[in-house]
Amino acid sequence: MKCEDARELITALVDEELSGAERFSVEGHLKDCLRCRFVYEEEQALKREIGAAGFRLSASPELRSKILSDRRIFPGPERSSGSWTKRILPAWPFPRPALALALAVVLILPMLYFMRTPSEPISLAAVEIQRKIIGGEISVRKASNPDELRQWQVRAVNGEFAPMEYDLSSMNMLPAGGVVKEINGRKTLVTVYTGNGLTITCFTFLGTEEDAPKIASVFFDAEKKMKFYSFSKDGLNAVLHRERSIICILVSNISGDELLAMVRAKVQPS
Amino acid sequence: MGHLDHLYRVAVHLVKETQEAEDLVQEAYVRALGSYEQFSPGSNLKAWLTRILYNFFIDDYHQKRRWVSIEDGAAEKEASSYWERVPAENPGPENRLLLKELKSKISDALGKIPEEFRLPIVLVDMGDFSYLEAAAILSCPVGTVRSRLSRGRRLLHNQLKEYVATEEKKRAKQ
Repeated sequence: MKCEDARELITALVDEELSGAERFSVEGHLKDCLRCRFVYEEEQALKREIGAAGFRLSASPELRSKILSDRRIFPGPERSSGSWTKRILPAWPFPRPALALALAVVLILPMLYFMRTPSEPISLAAVEIQRKIIGGEISVRKASNPDELRQWQVRAVNGEFAPMEYDLSSMNMLPAGGVVKEINGRKTLVTVYTGNGLTITCFTFLGTEEDAPKIASVFFDAEKKMKFYSFSKDGLNAVLHRERSIICILVSNISGDELLAMVRAKVQPS
Repeated sequence: MGHLDHLYRVAVHLVKETQEAEDLVQEAYVRALGSYEQFSPGSNLKAWLTRILYNFFIDDYHQKRRWVSIEDGAAEKEASSYWERVPAENPGPENRLLLKELKSKISDALGKIPEEFRLPIVLVDMGDFSYLEAAAILSCPVGTVRSRLSRGRRLLHNQLKEYVATEEKKRAKQ
């Protein structure tokens, strides 16, 4: 392969959009060509920095307020004067007001969800997310390269923390994918390990042991001087523990005792 | 409004002014509400909203407020020259440090490359869209996304290098 021919393939390789013969071909070229390998590494670094630059940009609170107060998006309450429809309708873009109202509700509901006082602890919400991941309701980013996945997750939280990592290779389990979810207003890094027909999902976020649900059983490991909180919901078992200001919850369909034993064995005291 | 930040990021890289970007996002939400019945539940809401925003930009903003700083021909030339300038031997650590030093300049540099190359970068690198999703948003073939990304990143790299050269000249004068 000529370097010229490798240009676009290197880009696609950086984006993990290559498979089969093309991937094999460009990876072979990179092994032999120092210049192209440098281009590949530079492009990887550039992609990371572009992503990080994106995360530094966010909508202003004023824009949120403007959208929320836009009567075309969120119609206000009906006034007592019967003539409001005549004033509004000329600019009203929707031929079916009932449909528009229903759509407005669709947009309002997520907003209310984020504004509400958390009724469910983040730990129980994590179990619910695990159920949705297993059920295919939440899709995860595939981890063809665990390091890339980890870097992407770290970027998503502006480098504030990293996903807790576990070496589960002795159980033939490897990171299969991940996602970043906002749960009760907190960014949570979700990493899914699969293997041997099992799934273990690790939720990492900034928090305290107060994030453990009240129903949890508490186990104190005297040797490691750490507390582990074990709980179950809807047939899924979970174990929460803290390392400094980082909380990790492992959720799985393996038995609660097995999961607790595994977490205690894998965790090193901070 | 879970995708508001994402839409704002895309809008900022479509139009020059922050105020215009905010107007674009707001109007995109109005359009989304107006065509919500076209959205298939379970499909990618973020991609759908982005496509609405992009289409609105093309329809209403594009003709009068196109944000282009480099002629397309010049862009092509610059993209090619990047490849020629890549060192054939070990590039040395200073080149690897370039991006780290310039991270704060990336948004500015993005603004200086032509829209056709900028948008795939914004969608794929900032929006985490796949090539297929980006192609659907931009209404172009997947191969076009790939080639524009490749050229666009090289252009961006050149912009960042030029910034370094300018800064070094300024320092030398001082």
